[in-house]
Amino acid sequence: MLELTAKSPCSGLLPMTIGPFTLTEMTPLAMTSIAPRKGQESALSDALKAAHGMAFPAPGRATGKAEARAVWFGRGVALLIGPTADAALAEHAALTDQSDAWAVVRLEGQGAEDVLARLVPVDLRAAVFKRGHTARTQLMHMSASVTRVGDRAFQIMVFRSMAATLVHDLETAMRSIAARS
Amino acid sequence: MRITCPICGARDRREFYYQGAALTRPGPDDGAQAWDDYVHLRDNPAGITRELWQHEAGCAAWIVVTRDTVTHAVHGAELATDLAGEVQS
Amino acid sequence: MRFSGLRILKEGLTGNKGWTPHWRDPDPKEEYDIVIIGGGGHGLATAYYLARDHGLTNIAVLERGYIGGGNVGRNTTIVRANYNMPGNSEFYSHSLRLWEGLEDDLNYNVMHSQRGVINLFHSDGQRDYAARRANSMIQQGDDAILLDREGVREKVPYLDFDNARFPIYGGLYHPRGGTARHDAVAWGFARGADQRGVDLLQNCEVTGIDIENGQVRGVQTSRGAIRAKKVGIVVAGRSGQVAAMAGMRLPIESHILQAFVTEGLKPCIDQVVTFGMGHFYISQSDKGGLVFGGDLDFYASYASRGNLPMAEHVMEAGMALMPMIGKARVLRSWGGIMDMSPDGSPIIDRTPVDGLFLNCGWCYGGFKAVPGSGSVFAHLMATGRYHDAATRFRLDRFRDGYGLMDEEGTGSQHNLH
Repeated sequence: MLELTAKSPCSGLLPMTIGPFTLTEMTPLAMTSIAPRKGQESALSDALKAAHGMAFPAPGRATGKAEARAVWFGRGVALLIGPTADAALAEHAALTDQSDAWAVVRLEGQGAEDVLARLVPVDLRAAVFKRGHTARTQLMHMSASVTRVGDRAFQIMVFRSMAATLVHDLETAMRSIAARS
Repeated sequence: MRITCPICGARDRREFYYQGAALTRPGPDDGAQAWDDYVHLRDNPAGITRELWQHEAGCAAWIVVTRDTVTHAVHGAELATDLAGEVQS
Repeated sequence: MRFSGLRILKEGLTGNKGWTPHWRDPDPKEEYDIVIIGGGGHGLATAYYLARDHGLTNIAVLERGYIGGGNVGRNTTIVRANYNMPGNSEFYSHSLRLWEGLEDDLNYNVMHSQRGVINLFHSDGQRDYAARRANSMIQQGDDAILLDREGVREKVPYLDFDNARFPIYGGLYHPRGGTARHDAVAWGFARGADQRGVDLLQNCEVTGIDIENGQVRGVQTSRGAIRAKKVGIVVAGRSGQVAAMAGMRLPIESHILQAFVTEGLKPCIDQVVTFGMGHFYISQSDKGGLVFGGDLDFYASYASRGNLPMAEHVMEAGMALMPMIGKARVLRSWGGIMDMSPDGSPIIDRTPVDGLFLNCGWCYGGFKAVPGSGSVFAHLMATGRYHDAATRFRLDRFRDGYGLMDEEGTGSQHNLH
């Protein structure tokens, strides 16, 4: 029997430190998309609170903490990142395991917004994009999810197959910004 | 050009997919002329128009955008589901 | 006045005082045999060929702005006959033959340059398609050469042949293709039509089309009413608005196509090179600027300017294909308003109104069609019969699906071309 070794999406690419910026890969145990059934939104939110400690996020918001976060992921969908989704949630929502489908990275450092400003067509400055805010948007040409997880930190997700491009684009932008300061 | 998505707020045009004029879909038995009108013929106004767009790279909602084809000004957008029956792609 | 080298010499020696305007600026008459709405390349060419081939000279061309101010002055000047499908194939072939005699015919230097067009391909499947297209071109009587990778490298060595996504496998070379000076084409046809007695009425906007009992009677304009026995609508970009004056809805959406030009450089790009997979094409003007463009902005617009995402996309594709252009500075960008038809091919036909004819739907390919379009539309308006090279550009082909010419194979529906 062949021995297969699990590799994370950014394996061999990260971590990376350039100037004031660090880019690290996050490897949550599980990722599950949660799409509440019609009329079940509040029941689902209650169940999510009971099972994992956070409410279902409003559009453009993330709830929970680092170890268990629910990130709004599109119309009528949130992504539970961290714990394996409690089976009881299935009573109110369609659950889809996406654990191996996304590359998840954390960009941190003074001026991280400036790095992302080169790549993302959304205003991510702290005054308008606060901790707990999230956006589905593009990073260069990739469909992405960007969440502010700290005063100087963002969580960035793209499809797993684009991990190397994501790291390349972020590295290029980090170098440019670092060179200016 | 920035389009105000009812869910995500003002976003860059690159996040959206363009479908075309927001029209009322004929019934299956309405005849060839009605379907020709719907599929091919267009008012193609120089000025205010209503169009179907999808916030493809954002929330993925289909929206009906009121827009000026001469100035590229975007005057508003509504969720297509809120207008169900009135317009369909 | 006839232009010649001798004339230039004489004028040069006598202070250039003998030049006269290229065309008259007449007042509208009350009535013409034929009124052409639209003083762009196609409208002017229509008037010219009506006069040259059919002896009809009691004609007015009505232009809302000024001659050369519309799409004929807002394109990337490419001339070619490398189409694949019946309908388009014979038409563009006809047009290219007219181009080849145009300068002598008009006594006007339109700077037609047959420098060759190369369409790149990037896979075995695309090579097969290029071979098939080349065979259709040859069958049509035009020229086509299938270049392998080394053949392309010999002609355009500066391309990135090993792009990871689109490595270059070869190219379809069309030696008789090339470019022309866009304004000069408008001016040459305007002068030629004027010399044959056609009235060119500028600043003359059509505000209404007069129809009685299903027969066209004339037009209302910003310079008064003009009666006419026949009226041709040749206003690609604005076709929907003008046709609406005759109570018609057309299978047309107006879209923006952007183009760009860099600062003048020494000669470096000798052909027209197209990179279909990246939606990018480029040539170098005689002045030295790199002239390039890409795909539509993909939303209905009459703004004559596009948006940044498509500009970025075009630059990225250009850099992927030929990294050497990265240091050239872009001087200007502009947008042309494209009459987009559902199948990507034009419409040259009668309308349900007697005496009212329609020429529209040129999508992104109107410039190379200018002489051909004028010639076949003049034939249709003068004789009532389709020209042999333009029997398939029917207005009703969308309704019944018969005779669609979907060159790209994407489907006959708006937003797919």
